[in-house]
Amino acid sequence: MSVEITMPQLSDTMTEGTVVKWHKKEGDPIKSGDEVADIETDKATMPMEAFEGGTLAVILAPEGEKVRVGQAIGVIATAGEKVNQIRARYSLGMRPTGSAPAPPAPKPPTESRQLTTVVPAARPATMEAATSGEVHEPDDAGHGATRQPPVAVPPVPRSGDGNRRLRISPLARRMAVDMGIDPESLHGSGPDGRIVRQDIVAPRGGAGPQLGVGQKQVVPLTKMRAAIAKGLTASKQNIPHYYETIDVDVEDLSRVRAKLNEMLEGEKIRLSLADFIAKAVATALLQHPMLNATFNGTEITRYGDVNLGMAVAVADGLIVPILRGIQRLGLKEIRRRSADLAERARAGRLKQEEMTGGTFTISSLGAWGVREFSAIINPPEVAILAVGAAEKRAVVRDEQIIARTMMSLTLSADHRVVDGATAAEFLRTLKTFLEEPSIMFFMNELENPAR
Amino acid sequence: MTEEMERDENVFLMGEEVAQYNGAYKVSEGMLEKFGPRRIFDTPISEAGFAGLGVGAACSGLRPIIEFMSFSFTLVCLDQIVNNAANIRYMSGGQFKVPIVFRGGNGIAHQLGATHSHRMESVYGRIPGLIVVAPSTPYDAKGLLKASIRCDDPVIFLESEKMLGERGEVPDEEYLLPIGKAIVTRPGKDVTIVSYGRPMQRVVRPAVEALEKDHGIDAELIDLRTLRPLDAQTIVDSVRKTNRCVIVDEDYGFCGMGSGILQKIQKPCFDHLDAPIEYVHCDEIPVPFAHNLEEAMLPSVDRIVAAVKEVCYR
Repeated sequence: MSVEITMPQLSDTMTEGTVVKWHKKEGDPIKSGDEVADIETDKATMPMEAFEGGTLAVILAPEGEKVRVGQAIGVIATAGEKVNQIRARYSLGMRPTGSAPAPPAPKPPTESRQLTTVVPAARPATMEAATSGEVHEPDDAGHGATRQPPVAVPPVPRSGDGNRRLRISPLARRMAVDMGIDPESLHGSGPDGRIVRQDIVAPRGGAGPQLGVGQKQVVPLTKMRAAIAKGLTASKQNIPHYYETIDVDVEDLSRVRAKLNEMLEGEKIRLSLADFIAKAVATALLQHPMLNATFNGTEITRYGDVNLGMAVAVADGLIVPILRGIQRLGLKEIRRRSADLAERARAGRLKQEEMTGGTFTISSLGAWGVREFSAIINPPEVAILAVGAAEKRAVVRDEQIIARTMMSLTLSADHRVVDGATAAEFLRTLKTFLEEPSIMFFMNELENPAR
Repeated sequence: MTEEMERDENVFLMGEEVAQYNGAYKVSEGMLEKFGPRRIFDTPISEAGFAGLGVGAACSGLRPIIEFMSFSFTLVCLDQIVNNAANIRYMSGGQFKVPIVFRGGNGIAHQLGATHSHRMESVYGRIPGLIVVAPSTPYDAKGLLKASIRCDDPVIFLESEKMLGERGEVPDEEYLLPIGKAIVTRPGKDVTIVSYGRPMQRVVRPAVEALEKDHGIDAELIDLRTLRPLDAQTIVDSVRKTNRCVIVDEDYGFCGMGSGILQKIQKPCFDHLDAPIEYVHCDEIPVPFAHNLEEAMLPSVDRIVAAVKEVCYR
């Protein structure tokens, strides 16, 4: 049975020692009592004697290397053992470990030489596990003359590469928890692979420095970009999208909005057109429940609540916070909650439950002046509404061309669940509500007197 | 000082060369002529003596302003300031108050050598009972000095010989600036830089400009104005917004003023930090006389920029 030679504790303040010189080479025979090496402690250099006879199979600590007390510095093959086998076992690039039993308790300084070999405990099942227990202390860590024998430190849970603990900034950790992201899956770009804010969301300011002529830059995907890329590809590949566009006259609605905002001036609330659209969509969905649904490929689930997702552009990405039970909310409350959600979305402070459980989504690019566009469905939802800009357009009324404030709405629907006519009926209801807002409130009262 | 002495006849100025010579740095120019030798009072070179006289006068109802040619010299009167001025109100159960201002140049001026270049803010900043004020602009200096003179507790008012010639807008009319309040002098979104006093003018403001111009980093700059009591809330609010913080001073790092600031803010900021808080400070050596070596030991624009880039992962 092989025997490890471990670093002896040669004085009571010694926590580590250096092998100054090996007197034997690998393969040399050793008799019990032979001087095998010179060890330098914090006080002096002393020879170390072998306790067991045999063959020096492996030198684990080369000359000049600092080793903690109790750690193996070499291995002796006892009679009948194959040196090569032992050497192979130790030469997997593994370093000696702290797995040997704790060194003998300190003895009075006079007894400075000790027997230094110990029979190793059963080695850990894998070399991997053994290595992970290794703890290197900085060179100056022993100055406090610690009197306790070194203790093997249990392995710390570590990240994917199996070799290091997870390094993550407190901010990034909190953001990952809030957003439901497993930190272990993130790539850290900070010092020593520390996961920092920019590994979860793109740095503020977005696209990075402007590139000069002839320069190029490879940008690894942030977690959010990767999620968007994966999710939307799956949606577009799996869902048979079709699109229906309708033009809505929002001239009257704009006037109602202006009047309401005048009345609300004292409360510092400004309703946006988007708030009216959200309210109208929620009310219309109650009448066309097939669009307020989710689909898992085999079953359609319908909902009594409208949980409305609002796509919010954030630095290098897109987040869809959810306004829950919006059919119960008034316009002021819709404004207040959507402003809060959008602000926290941009700050990366949304909770996981505020981004899941949507039943329908609205995406608006009106603020950028986009006239109309078609959006990709956010699965497992079955439809999404793309809202364009409200703008003056020339329209024909009573054989006359007049200027009216118009807006184009495009519904993308999942044909596996919603047929074209169903979608068209929803859009017609929506158009009616937006062109005659009073009807919406009237219908709302009639349809849902309890709300 | 003149305004406050006109306003309150209990205010007087005492120190080395403040009267006949018009002040070692001409701070009290013309004041002897205006107020006479009873209120503008020359002393021998005896800091322990006149600091103690001041504390006694303050206990007796006057409002002394004690000028030190350099705060380095207060090392010989620490007993008067730390033991007496700071503690008499407490030890007497409130029977005595000590409304006194100790003012003078603090820190590294220009080739004054190791013994005349001490930065005393962390020595006084840690003493309960003292208030420590450090203005960085002429405007702040007037508002804070007037507030300090009217304060009923002992105030350590830290100036810099190198800032006495600084020019800036100072209104003629009366105004006071609150003691114990820091100010965000420049809003920003990428990193919070905290500093005070001389380095603000010497390196911090130029560094903030360089960060914006050359590195596209938008720094929020906080001027502490008062070091004790520290307005930690203003710093914490800012760091919670920017998620990064760099503290700059000219103290030694170990047990320096910035270390004390760090101790106050790291816990409330912890969950908001994306990088460890950086502290840019002096090298830990006696201050060299040679100009190039003196410059080399001090925080520089480059050092601040490097620290900011480190916390921003740039």
